[in-house]
Amino acid sequence: MFSLSELETDALIEIFNIGVGQAAASMSAIVNETVRMSVPSVSFINRTDAARLLDGKAPEAGAICGVSQHYEGAFSTEAILMFPEDKSLEIVRLMVGESVPLKELTEMEQEAMCEIGNIILNSCVGTLANIFQRELHGSLPEYHIGTSDEILIASGSRHDTVVLMLHIDFVLEKHQIHGYVAFVLDISALHDLKEQINLYIARAMGQA
Amino acid sequence: MTPAKTVLIVDDSRVSRMMARQYIAGLHADWIVEEAGTGEESLVKARATPPDLILMDVNMPGMGGIAAAEQLRQEFPAVPISLLTANVQTATRERAAQLGIGFMEKPITEARIAQLLAALEAA
Repeated sequence: MFSLSELETDALIEIFNIGVGQAAASMSAIVNETVRMSVPSVSFINRTDAARLLDGKAPEAGAICGVSQHYEGAFSTEAILMFPEDKSLEIVRLMVGESVPLKELTEMEQEAMCEIGNIILNSCVGTLANIFQRELHGSLPEYHIGTSDEILIASGSRHDTVVLMLHIDFVLEKHQIHGYVAFVLDISALHDLKEQINLYIARAMGQA
Repeated sequence: MTPAKTVLIVDDSRVSRMMARQYIAGLHADWIVEEAGTGEESLVKARATPPDLILMDVNMPGMGGIAAAEQLRQEFPAVPISLLTANVQTATRERAAQLGIGFMEKPITEARIAQLLAALEAA
């Protein structure tokens, strides 16, 4: 069973907190409004429970759209940004402004969501890489639509895969749009992440 | 009044190209904006219409932005090139510095584009 000590958990949350802060700043620049984010809480659960957790956070929502990117390097992870599908056009509109006609906007919705995901996920993951002083190589963003479970499957996660679940709620204040970020790591990747966390702690304590 | 310049935007995201184009047009309506969706295409476009400024995404299918920028730096040593990327990692910034090219993080905003264009005008 994978576990983290209290200090490791504290460091993990602090590291992701910094990463998510950067992601919020990027999101805010995209939509040109204040983005409020919860303090990330971290839990290690399997895919089924992760999907249930996401569904429970937005019980009124129908389909979810997700943008995922795979990262390799200091540790491997699938990073996924999720929004209610019925809000994605609104988000894209906030990004590109009012000048683009609705037809054109609809045509480019998926591509625009990919770019939004690319910016937000890279902002967060890039910050993690900088903190770990290691490089993380990202794939091109992929767009998914479906239930939380379908998106987690589509992004490569098996039923029994342990998901490092970051419970981060993005809220676009004026528009009341909620989004979530999840990081999927298998056991091997979790051990690599743990090693990076311990190197970070050692540096923080002046031991490395 | 500065003479009209040509800016080459290289990005696999059509939306990003559209936004950059829109901001450039808003700041300099007379400037010419060329677009390329891949690193390979940027080489073809730059050879056909030598640009005054190149804005380059990093993570693209096929030839990535760093490799394309490296090639363009050799072929057009006097043309300023700036990465315009979501990849905010220190390693990417250092690679840009080694190549002698600029770095600007996404998202693309009017202020960031204005900053890049102002640097070109001042040069």
